Amino acid sequence: MKNSIKVERAKKNITQAELAKLAKVSRQTINAMELGKYVPSTVLSLRLAQIFEVDVSQIFTLEKSDWE
Amino acid sequence: MGWIILIPSAIIGLLTLIYGYEPSYLNFNVPAIFIDEFFSDKNFVGLVDNNVLNEILGVLIILSSLFVAFSKEKTEDEYISKIRLESLVWAVYFNYIILLLSFLFIFDFSFLWVMIFNMFTILLFFIIRFNWQISKLKKGTHYEE
Repeated sequence: MKNSIKVERAKKNITQAELAKLAKVSRQTINAMELGKYVPSTVLSLRLAQIFEVDVSQIFTLEKSDWE
Repeated sequence: MGWIILIPSAIIGLLTLIYGYEPSYLNFNVPAIFIDEFFSDKNFVGLVDNNVLNEILGVLIILSSLFVAFSKEKTEDEYISKIRLESLVWAVYFNYIILLLSFLFIFDFSFLWVMIFNMFTILLFFIIRFNWQISKLKKGTHYEE
């Protein structure tokens, strides 16, 4: 699964630490998600969407490998 | 908090185990179930004369390692919980691999040592693996704007 957290974060002009605080998770979690190492839960995805004021599907997109 | 109890009780436990230290003032008649001693009748429940030092140390080690293992991180979020669960599964696998190998290659009285240590090793392996993963995580996240 791909995500555009980094892009959205740049649009909002906030750091990983600030986003972590807003989403109530650790900075490591934000970092792991941006690097594609961690797939967040639905709740966290929805929280991020609300913070960025976009749809969840605008942040997260499926890849071919997600169907295998 | 857990570490403060774990480290001394583990050290004392190991020493008393090696030297077979059993101070007589800790000999008590304690309630027991499934009694099957040499030269005496078999009983389901009753009292036995026993040195309670190893019991005390065992309980301290187990409780303090549970504290160390399962107290929450400062920021315990879903990613940390995932690492925690992964480490627990890993520790169970690893422990049983070690146990399997010891079953096959360690015999007789030496195997008693394996059984003694195996009581605590699942938690020990978990603590090592979890803390290692967490420290790797903290080191690996370079600061990005």
